[in-house]
Amino acid sequence: MKPFLSSLIWVLLNWPSLLYAGGPLVVVIHPGSSVETLSREEVINIFLGRYRQLPSGLLAQPVDQPAGQKASFYKLLVGKELPEINAYWSRLVFSGKTKPPQQARDLAEVIQWVNSLPGAIGYMEADQVDSRVKVALKLN
Amino acid sequence: MAHVPWRHSILLRTAAIVIGVACAVGALFIAQTLRVTSERTYARSTAGLSELIDTVESTVSIACFVTDQALALEVARGLLKNIQVRGVVIAAGTQELARVSRSSDAATTNDANLAPLERKIHSPFNAQEVVGMIRLEPNREEIRQLIHQETRFFGLLLVLQLIAVVGSVVFIVLRTVVHPIKTMSDGLHRLDAAAGESLPQPPGHAHTEIGRLVEDINELARRMVVAMEEERAVTRQRELEERKYRVIFDNARIGILTIDHTGHIESYNPALFYLLDLPRSSGGEDPGFTLQSLSWRQSSLPQAMILQCLDNNSPMTDDLELLLDDGTVRWINLVLSPVGENRLQGILADVTGRKQAEAAAKQEAVTDLLTGLSNRMGLERSLESQIHTHLNMPGRGFALMMLKLDGFRRINDAMGFGVGDLILKEAANRLQNCLKASDTVARLDGGKFALLLPRAFGEVRASMIGQRILKTLAHQFDVQGAPLQLGANIGITLCPGDGGDPPTLLRNAQLALDRAHNNNHHGFTFFDTTLAEIAERRGVLETDLRLALRREGFRLFYQPIVDLNHHRVVGAEALIRWDHPQNGLISPDDFIPLAEETGMICEIGLWALESACRQLLIWQSAGRGDLYLSINVSGRQIPDSLSPERIAQTVWRYGIDPSRLVLEITEGVLLNNVIQAQHWLATLRDLGFRIYLDDFGTGYSSLSYLKRFPVDTVKIDKSFIRDMAADNDDRALVEAIIAMARSLRLSVVAEGVETLQHAALLRQMHCYTAQGFLFSKPVPEEQLAAAMARIEAMPVELL
Repeated sequence: MKPFLSSLIWVLLNWPSLLYAGGPLVVVIHPGSSVETLSREEVINIFLGRYRQLPSGLLAQPVDQPAGQKASFYKLLVGKELPEINAYWSRLVFSGKTKPPQQARDLAEVIQWVNSLPGAIGYMEADQVDSRVKVALKLN
Repeated sequence: MAHVPWRHSILLRTAAIVIGVACAVGALFIAQTLRVTSERTYARSTAGLSELIDTVESTVSIACFVTDQALALEVARGLLKNIQVRGVVIAAGTQELARVSRSSDAATTNDANLAPLERKIHSPFNAQEVVGMIRLEPNREEIRQLIHQETRFFGLLLVLQLIAVVGSVVFIVLRTVVHPIKTMSDGLHRLDAAAGESLPQPPGHAHTEIGRLVEDINELARRMVVAMEEERAVTRQRELEERKYRVIFDNARIGILTIDHTGHIESYNPALFYLLDLPRSSGGEDPGFTLQSLSWRQSSLPQAMILQCLDNNSPMTDDLELLLDDGTVRWINLVLSPVGENRLQGILADVTGRKQAEAAAKQEAVTDLLTGLSNRMGLERSLESQIHTHLNMPGRGFALMMLKLDGFRRINDAMGFGVGDLILKEAANRLQNCLKASDTVARLDGGKFALLLPRAFGEVRASMIGQRILKTLAHQFDVQGAPLQLGANIGITLCPGDGGDPPTLLRNAQLALDRAHNNNHHGFTFFDTTLAEIAERRGVLETDLRLALRREGFRLFYQPIVDLNHHRVVGAEALIRWDHPQNGLISPDDFIPLAEETGMICEIGLWALESACRQLLIWQSAGRGDLYLSINVSGRQIPDSLSPERIAQTVWRYGIDPSRLVLEITEGVLLNNVIQAQHWLATLRDLGFRIYLDDFGTGYSSLSYLKRFPVDTVKIDKSFIRDMAADNDDRALVEAIIAMARSLRLSVVAEGVETLQHAALLRQMHCYTAQGFLFSKPVPEEQLAAAMARIEAMPVELL
């Protein structure tokens, strides 16, 4: 009885965040970029430092949201939790060949980053998208 | 046996075998173990390398994902730190990210077991996507070294274990089994059982199989020693006996030889030559003759004996005559016994003496030793040969006489056998003197002789010879100075007239002799066929008599005895009658002599005694206990058949007073055996029985007899009574008898009183007891009472 009750309470309390976390995220790029859409593979390669290059040939400059949306993003993208992603990066950092994406402090910074750099690439919730960014991929 | 060389020693052999087998098995085991160890070590190495890859896989995956050479190199170097890794190659797709390897390496890559370990590397974010590969080159040298080390270690361990185990086993086996056996073996080798030594018990083996083995060996040795000693004693004894028998063999008086089946003599003793009357030869050599080649009279017999002996495999013996050079004959008894292998042992003995003795004995068998005449067997032989001669050359026949000296037995009894023998010799002499040499005289038994007279054919000649013989025997015999008069009777039979075979002739002569004897006047009688008929009748009568005895064919008749004075019956004489089924009643005169001859009189007498007692009992019951009954006793019944005890017992059984039973005897009865008769008489009289002397006057009737034989009553014979009315002599005789009896205080019974005159005369002579037809003839029991009543009713004045 008791474990069931406590889990029910937990679900009710976290309802909004759960809903939020499961909400659609979109990958956005510079609005003026020649690239219109990106594949999931391309997004993974860019964000996880494999190829930092857009299909257009531009150097891709990814940016991460703060922790909350970042975890959701990676979860949706590669199915990994944030600590795993961090561990991944810590090993690559050692060789210095590639770097993790730029860490933004908030959404505004992300928008500004994407809007200001032609090779920038970020992500946000679909309803946060405005004209300053261009959606390249919807993540479900 | 020699000492066991060390290389054959059981110790060494056992140790070598145990070690060899253990090493072979151990080597096999070790090889197998090493192979397994090597495989396990390699597998472990491979697993180790695989695990090594596992630990770096995620990093390698990242390095390949991002084609980070620095990271790949770092990982590869790290891997190379493992001694078992010789080289590492990491590649992302076609691009080689890192390749490192040890420099000091001249690897042999052809080792299939140690192929490089390659694994595909998947993307860290997509398990399906292959982003590269990693290949580990194993450090073959190192792994091989490791395997070597491992196997060497285990091998060494196993070898050491093997050595320890084998050593222990060898030690224990040698110590507990082999060494005791070797000690035993060595001890046994040196053992002198005859000296009483025995094998020591190995320590600690008292109750094991080895201990038992030692005990058994000691026991066996002891028994062997005993057996050997016995064997030695037997051998010694045998040698001794061998010497003894050798001496016997050499010095024996009998000939000993061995021959083969052809009669060839193989060995012999010196006595053989003496025995065969041959020149002496040194023993052991071929004697120069065979058993058959000797001068035997029965020349084929030795060969036949040899063959028969071998065929039957049993000893044979026979007497052979050996003809000697000087013309004499030596009897040799030859015994042949088979001794196996177709050989025979022969024993020869000189039996000439025995043969002569046998011939003499044969002669004796047909000779009467006392008189030197033939005996019965000799007579029969002569008779047979005489008949044989007669049949071959029929002539006028011959005579056979049988002669019996009359009164010989009496003289023998009275004067002893010495006198009898002298008389027989004298008679034999006289007989031979009045016969020819061709005649045969034989003594048969007692005073009986037989004469076979080949020339006495026909009755005339036989009568002449018979007369001559009777005459010569009628002369008195002077024996020991006492003249004795004997007569003889002769029976004569003629051959072939009376018979043609010895038994018939002998029987005929006997019958003729019996007839002559019965005539009793010292003469001779010729056999005629009536004699044979009489004999045959007698035979029939005898059979009937036996039958009568069995079937109670006899009856007692009673003749009353009367007291003339008191005119009453005082008793009766019991007279036996034979109720013959065909011939009717037969008087005792016709069958008592035969019964006496055959001995049946004894049973008849007993039957008469019983019947008389029964009659006395009847009288006693009828109130006539005063009557007495007399029965006649024959000489054959005295003393044993009708013994005083028997009579007394019978009378007692019926409850009869002994004085009621009278026993009538004749004088002749008493004369047969005087002493026994006297005793018999005295005993009966002591028991209370009365004795009547029957037929008085007909025999010797001597006064001295009356004195010697104490009787109660004399019965005057009926012949005197019958004639006394007409003959004065008889009357005087009767008177004398009565007077004499009275003077001896004997009572008198007159027999055969037939007329009133007889009775009157007797009364005048003061004889008052009588029996006879005047009163009653003998009557059967059922008529007795009537007869007695009639007698007592007779008018007194008649008597």
